[in-house]
Amino acid sequence: MTHPAPSSGDARDDQTGRFVTQPNGRVRPLSPHLQVWRWHVTMTASILFRVTIGAATVGAMIAVAWLAAVAFGPDAYADALAFAASPFGLFIGFGLTVVLFSFLLNGARHLINDTGAALRVGPANLLSNISVWGPVPLAVLFWVLLFVTERVSL
Amino acid sequence: MSRPIEFRNRVKVSERHGAGEWTVEKAALLVLIPLGVWVASTGFTLAGADYQTVFAWFSSRLNAVLLAVTALVFFGYAGLAWKVIVEDYIHRPANKALLLALVNVICVVLAAASVFFIVRLALGSAPLPAGFGA
Repeated sequence: MTHPAPSSGDARDDQTGRFVTQPNGRVRPLSPHLQVWRWHVTMTASILFRVTIGAATVGAMIAVAWLAAVAFGPDAYADALAFAASPFGLFIGFGLTVVLFSFLLNGARHLINDTGAALRVGPANLLSNISVWGPVPLAVLFWVLLFVTERVSL
Repeated sequence: MSRPIEFRNRVKVSERHGAGEWTVEKAALLVLIPLGVWVASTGFTLAGADYQTVFAWFSSRLNAVLLAVTALVFFGYAGLAWKVIVEDYIHRPANKALLLALVNVICVVLAAASVFFIVRLALGSAPLPAGFGA
């Protein structure tokens, strides 16, 4: 039976996170929890919250670019609006609404769980499922309303 | 500076500033959730709007203040969140320090730019560059 060797053979040089430095300075392997734990929706919700914060940072940069376009006057704003109304712009816009609703639902789940509430299996699964799946129908509803009220058109 | 080891409710009190950052993260998230709902409703109102409508929206003091608060709290929160992400995955001290500095610089620049644009729009200033770099 063979085991793959760590890249450099030195645990202190490890970049994979498979080793941790204990408070007493000793380097020890991390418990192999990701390999032995059955996949669970709470893990998906937790990972997606981290992904959402990354995506929300990109979204906030787009929002700052929009602010800049408004501050640079009608011509710059017209260019920004033309881009936002293009198919690619609408695709980005839809993605941003998914990210925003994901931030709201998953953030609410995180805050509730941080107080120590809803950590039993049933409620934790419920909140995680809402956080994972909820953003998509909410974003679809948001865009259906945008098209129905003729704020946006193709 | 570490403080001496201390327990509260049989839970170890953090030796440095970890617990303080955690509390700030939670407080920021708590503020960002109602602000996020407001951002969604604002996005709905301003989607596809012409320049005059958007400019008029910024002339409301309430809108300008809420948007500036949203930007400041969000970029503060994002800075702390990215700090956690970097600390989780980057283990070489030099790389970690560099990335944390980069995260802080980006967040401060974005927050400052947001407030700069919002204040100009709220005051009804002339469109940029308006003399800057001209």
